[in-house]
Amino acid sequence: MKRAFAFTGRNIRELLRDPLGYIFCLGFPLIMLIIMTIVDRSIPPKANMTVFHIENLAPGVAVFGQMFIMLFTALNVSTDRSGTFLMRLYATPMTASDLTAGYIIPMLIISMVQAAITFTVAFIISVIVGSGLNIGGIFICMITLIPSALMFIGFGLIFGVLFNEKSAPGLCSIIISLGSFFGGIWFDAQGTGGVMLKISKCTPFFYCTKSARAAMALDFGADSFMIPLAIVVLCAVVLMSLSCFAFSKKMRTDLG
Amino acid sequence: MLAVQTKGLTKKYKDLTAVDSLDLEVEQGELFSLLGVNGAGKTTTIRMLCCLAKATSGEAWVMGKNCDSDKTAVKSMIGISPQDTAVAERLTVRENLLFMCRVYGFDKQKSRDRTAELIDTFGMQKVADSRAKTLSGGWKRKLSIAMALIGEPQVLFLDEPTLGLDVLARRELWREIQSLKGKLTIILTTHYMEEAQQLSDRIGIMIEGRLAALGTLSELEKQTGTTGLENAFVAIAEGGAQ
Repeated sequence: MKRAFAFTGRNIRELLRDPLGYIFCLGFPLIMLIIMTIVDRSIPPKANMTVFHIENLAPGVAVFGQMFIMLFTALNVSTDRSGTFLMRLYATPMTASDLTAGYIIPMLIISMVQAAITFTVAFIISVIVGSGLNIGGIFICMITLIPSALMFIGFGLIFGVLFNEKSAPGLCSIIISLGSFFGGIWFDAQGTGGVMLKISKCTPFFYCTKSARAAMALDFGADSFMIPLAIVVLCAVVLMSLSCFAFSKKMRTDLG
Repeated sequence: MLAVQTKGLTKKYKDLTAVDSLDLEVEQGELFSLLGVNGAGKTTTIRMLCCLAKATSGEAWVMGKNCDSDKTAVKSMIGISPQDTAVAERLTVRENLLFMCRVYGFDKQKSRDRTAELIDTFGMQKVADSRAKTLSGGWKRKLSIAMALIGEPQVLFLDEPTLGLDVLARRELWREIQSLKGKLTIILTTHYMEEAQQLSDRIGIMIEGRLAALGTLSELEKQTGTTGLENAFVAIAEGGAQ
């Protein structure tokens, strides 16, 4: 595990020194949080549109931010693969497990920091607009977001392993667009009904947002929280397993 | 014990035979160059010796350990500086070296000492806290070789170490490589005749995956009846082609 932590340290430094990381993983979600709050304040109360209320918006934006963690995981892995840096590490006593853990751990840490910053800004906004987010809800929401973070990191690892550094970000952009759309981050997917709701329910993104919003509302009902969270946990386990398998297989192929 | 030994080492990629029945013996402490044009099979040979590619047939040993069945032991005894510099671009020179120390399981004190020692050996004091991506090609190569030396290897593989460097940077790197001679076994691949001539104790000439000639410079000159490595290489290459 010492080697995995060494690789974790290297990856955290590389990510923290990439200005694009700050723009996409932090700046963009925070800007969206502020813009959508302004939109929310501009919508007349009689429209009864609650999706941009800060207690619904903040968990959605937190999930949105995690999608950029996926993008940076894919970029990190595919860039390492395109050069010979990984090849150098393959010639050391490092194992596939060390390398995989070294990619996952820093991304999980960064996603937790990202969520903490997002909720801090959301809390400040909530105080300004006079709605006051529940601090207990924020903490439970942050814990609820761990499986979805792992799920997106899993997506990123798979894309980074299977595609090069030019294709992987493009594919991640598609997932970000689909995830934002079917996750109901920018509109009330639950309220749309019909085919749209059916499609949304077929994607894990819908359950990420739903469980996070329920956690923020301290609503731990089976339909609103437990089942969506169980689905996200299941997806996270499947994607993590698939990504570890894909990485090990790719390493064996590279060394074939 | 030989530093490197191969018997009938072969690597095939579908219809292409990259390395063909390579029989090679390199003594400990020797600086051995594999010389050949692009696609001659030099890098593939290095990859098999570093456990980075599996041989299709034949066997290879590094310091008596089999490259296929005893990979962990082989990896603990080798260092490699790949063709690309293979450094972490956003880490400083010092951080790159410390990272490799941790990969080899050194404790904090040993990591600091080994890093300081290598920075000193390669004269990298003035760039020690510069990020790798800001370094010139020559400094990056030095860093790459220093990273390969972190684990105190018994055999160092340098794959085209001066590729793309200007003449001054190349000469400086030659001096660094020469300073390592005798301290460990060095296997170097190159397609620069002058480099092989300047640095090597013995030279192996690879043509289309086969070891076409092997010996010291004077032995190669004697074999071909020519003077200078370039003439000897051309004679061997043309002979091989015929």
